[in-house]
Amino acid sequence: MKRVFALALGVLTAIGGFVDIGDLVTNALVGSRFGLSLAWVVLVGVVGICVFAEMSGRVVAMSGRPTFDIVRERLGPRVGLLNLFGSMAVTLLTYIAEIGGVALAFELATGVWEYFWVPFVAILVWVVLWRAKFDLIENVFGVLGLALVVFAVALWQLSPDWGQLWHTASTAAKPTSEAWPSYWYYAIALFGAAMTPYEVFFFSSGGVEESWSEKSLPTVRANVFVGFPLGGLLSVSIAAVAAVVLLPVGIQVDTLGQVAMPVAVALGKVGLSIALLGFFAATFGAACETGLSLGYSIGQYFGWQWGKFVRPKEAARFHLVLLLSTILAAAVLLTTVDPILVTEFSVVFSAIALPLTYLPILMVANDRQFMRTHANGRVANTLGSIYLVIILVASLAALPLMVWTKMGTT
Amino acid sequence: MSTPASRRPELDALHQLLDRQILDNDGLMVGKVDDVELEEREDGRLVVTAFLTGPGALGPRLAGAWGSITVRTWSRLSGRAPEDCTRIGYGAVSSINTAIHLGVSRSSVAVDGFETWVRTRLIAALPGAGKDPS
Repeated sequence: MKRVFALALGVLTAIGGFVDIGDLVTNALVGSRFGLSLAWVVLVGVVGICVFAEMSGRVVAMSGRPTFDIVRERLGPRVGLLNLFGSMAVTLLTYIAEIGGVALAFELATGVWEYFWVPFVAILVWVVLWRAKFDLIENVFGVLGLALVVFAVALWQLSPDWGQLWHTASTAAKPTSEAWPSYWYYAIALFGAAMTPYEVFFFSSGGVEESWSEKSLPTVRANVFVGFPLGGLLSVSIAAVAAVVLLPVGIQVDTLGQVAMPVAVALGKVGLSIALLGFFAATFGAACETGLSLGYSIGQYFGWQWGKFVRPKEAARFHLVLLLSTILAAAVLLTTVDPILVTEFSVVFSAIALPLTYLPILMVANDRQFMRTHANGRVANTLGSIYLVIILVASLAALPLMVWTKMGTT
Repeated sequence: MSTPASRRPELDALHQLLDRQILDNDGLMVGKVDDVELEEREDGRLVVTAFLTGPGALGPRLAGAWGSITVRTWSRLSGRAPEDCTRIGYGAVSSINTAIHLGVSRSSVAVDGFETWVRTRLIAALPGAGKDPS
């Protein structure tokens, strides 16, 4: 019974934890402009994150070594350091976006200006990172994030023309008013949002926090292979309600309020409140995960003691990184930069940084000395290699497309 | 306790040691193998005599401007000569697998200059710093 409970809890937190500010904003924006014609990208992204999260989970269960340990060991100190700069820059950008997202959720709930909430949210995030137990952070926000199921309920309540939705999704039929470069730009943004590198840093470091071993592999796989696809389904329903409600009236999402608007249309105030709870849980949980990931990656590069499994004073440098990044994130937001704009940058730069994370994982998952009997099989290697090609193409195309389409505005 | 010379890793095993995580006897993280110290035996074989760790050892491997800045900054802040980087004798090693495990505690190898500084100046002063996570 205890095992079943642990398994169910893991799957639930994986569903709730899958969605963050990047998924919320990008899916709603894409739904409101392209309908479901880009839903296939979410599918591709979810399969990709499943392949590599399972791989990194297997590596950490078999070797005890999380992702950035592997990056340093496989790529050496010089390339590893460049990788650290790139990965941390993208994760910091995501951290800023998540904290901004929490502030936006508070603004929607209270009507009080978002920037008023920023210092308060930053302090709250830091206190949680400083004091809360690791599994508490993971479970509470993951389970509360399930409130986002309200988007699926809203879709059902709106009783859309299912045949037409399926048609646009299955034929990738782009609205004629949109141009192809923007279509591909948002394809890359969605892909970056689904495969954000911090997810793998956090997932694999969590394996050390929770001391996974070979015995944990079935649980790890259940979380990944059941939880992430269901999380992906939540992402698609966010896009679908936007496609049903916002696309026909020509509203293009550029605020968090507009992301929730279709739920309010379908389910009224109650639905809206649940959606706001989901926004808060998803962004707050992801803020904790990205914040921790910053400390994890730098600690793992330099070999410092890191993690929530020791007393804070035994991992002083790790906690210094958490403290400084939180202050920096709040400072950036207080320049009154728009968190939605930061989010759009963070998902595209995530796409650019993807090869940095995923190549070393694929390399080490094939190392029999590390992996003993659990090295990559043929399926994992075939999928891993195919995805590495997709990741490389997306990474190289991201910046040119961003410039060409002026961030998708043309 | 020192390991017999015959059992010490040879140079061809070097790539397996460099950049690997070092853990102490409680499983706490000590640092990385940023470099190794080698000694030539009478029969011409090179054996590893110590692991070098910390910015003083990492800097030279980064090469270029980054490397020299790293070493100079570390040397200035720690008040040690640039070539006097932290050394963990091979005798302290108890086993090697996906990490290097030491048979001694983290405090006895004295690698934690910056960690100690951050702890005493800042982290230890915050409420709950010594609270056991479990």
